Amino acid sequence: MTLAPAFVSYEFADRKEFCLSFAASSSRRVMLVPPLFDEMNRMRKMLVDVMRSLHALNISSLLPDLPGTNESLIALERVTLADWKAAVQACAEQHDISHIASFRGGTLAVADIAAASHWLFSPIKGATLIRTMLRTRIASDRESGLTTSLAELTARAETGPLELAGNVISPDLFAQLSAADITTMPDQRIVRLESDSKPSDVQIAGSALWLRAEPDDDLAMSAAFAQDIAGWIGQ
Amino acid sequence: MQNEVELTPEAAVRAVMRDILGLSEEQVAGFTAETELFGALPELDSMAVAGLLTELEDRLDIMIDDDEVDGELFETFGNLVVFAEMKVTG
Repeated sequence: MTLAPAFVSYEFADRKEFCLSFAASSSRRVMLVPPLFDEMNRMRKMLVDVMRSLHALNISSLLPDLPGTNESLIALERVTLADWKAAVQACAEQHDISHIASFRGGTLAVADIAAASHWLFSPIKGATLIRTMLRTRIASDRESGLTTSLAELTARAETGPLELAGNVISPDLFAQLSAADITTMPDQRIVRLESDSKPSDVQIAGSALWLRAEPDDDLAMSAAFAQDIAGWIGQ
Repeated sequence: MQNEVELTPEAAVRAVMRDILGLSEEQVAGFTAETELFGALPELDSMAVAGLLTELEDRLDIMIDDDEVDGELFETFGNLVVFAEMKVTG
C-alpha cells in the first residue's frame, strides 16, 4: 500500500499553518522548504516524492506551507519575505529541526537560520524570480492588447499590490524579494543539476521542473535527492 | 566546491530548451538552426518564454531588455542561438 503523508502544523503569528509530514522510526529528520510561487506548484509532486524516498531510507521529513500559500488562511497580499523567514524559523524550532533542505526561491526563506545545516538546491536571487513573473505579466498583458514594460510594472509594484502571474504581491514583498541575494550559510551543501554549470558541491542528473509548462515529476531525480540528503544528514 | 564551467551560448540555449520541453539529450541534439519553436511547440507558451529568457540571463550572465524581445526571436532555434551569441559577445 502507498504510504500516505500526515498533516501536522506549526504556529506562526497566532495562526496554525499546515505541514505535510512523513514520520520514520529513526530520529533523523529534515525540513523541506519549497520553491516560491508557480515554481512551488510545478515542483510539489517532486518534493513529496523526495519525502517518500526519504521515508524509505528511514528519515522523517516535514514540508511546511509558507504563510499565504496552499492551505494558509492569510492572503499572500499580506505576506512578506520577512514573514516567510520567521515562519520557517518557527517551524524549525517547534519541530526540533537541525537539517533544512530548501529549493530554488525557498533558499531565500532559510537565510536567517544560521544554526542549522543547509542543503540548498539551485539557489536563486529574488530578483530572478521577480523578473520572470514580470515577464509573464507583460506577456499576458500583451495578449489582452496592453503594452506594459518591466520598468512600468516595477514602478507600480513599488507603490501598491500588483498581480504577477496569479500572485498578488505587496510592495514590501516585492522590495524584499528584489533585494534578496543568494546568501552563503556557515554549514551548507549546494546542489545543482548536471545541466547547470554554476559552482556547486554536487551535481545531480535531472530535470529543471520549474521551467516546465505544467507540474511534472522526475522519480529518478527525487530518489537521487533523497540519497544525497541521507548521506548529508549522516547517521 | 566544483568550479564554474564556461558554457557556449548554443549549449546553453540547447540545455534550457531541453529543460523547458522535457526532452532527452538525443532529441534536443537534433535541433538545427531551422527547427521551429514558438507556434510549433505547444509547451513553449508565453509563461515558458518568460522562464526561458530569465534562465538564459542566469546561465549566460547577460541581461535581456524588453525591446530586444520580439516574435521573430522565438521563430527558430537558430534565431535564439544567434541572439544569445550576440548578447554574450556584447
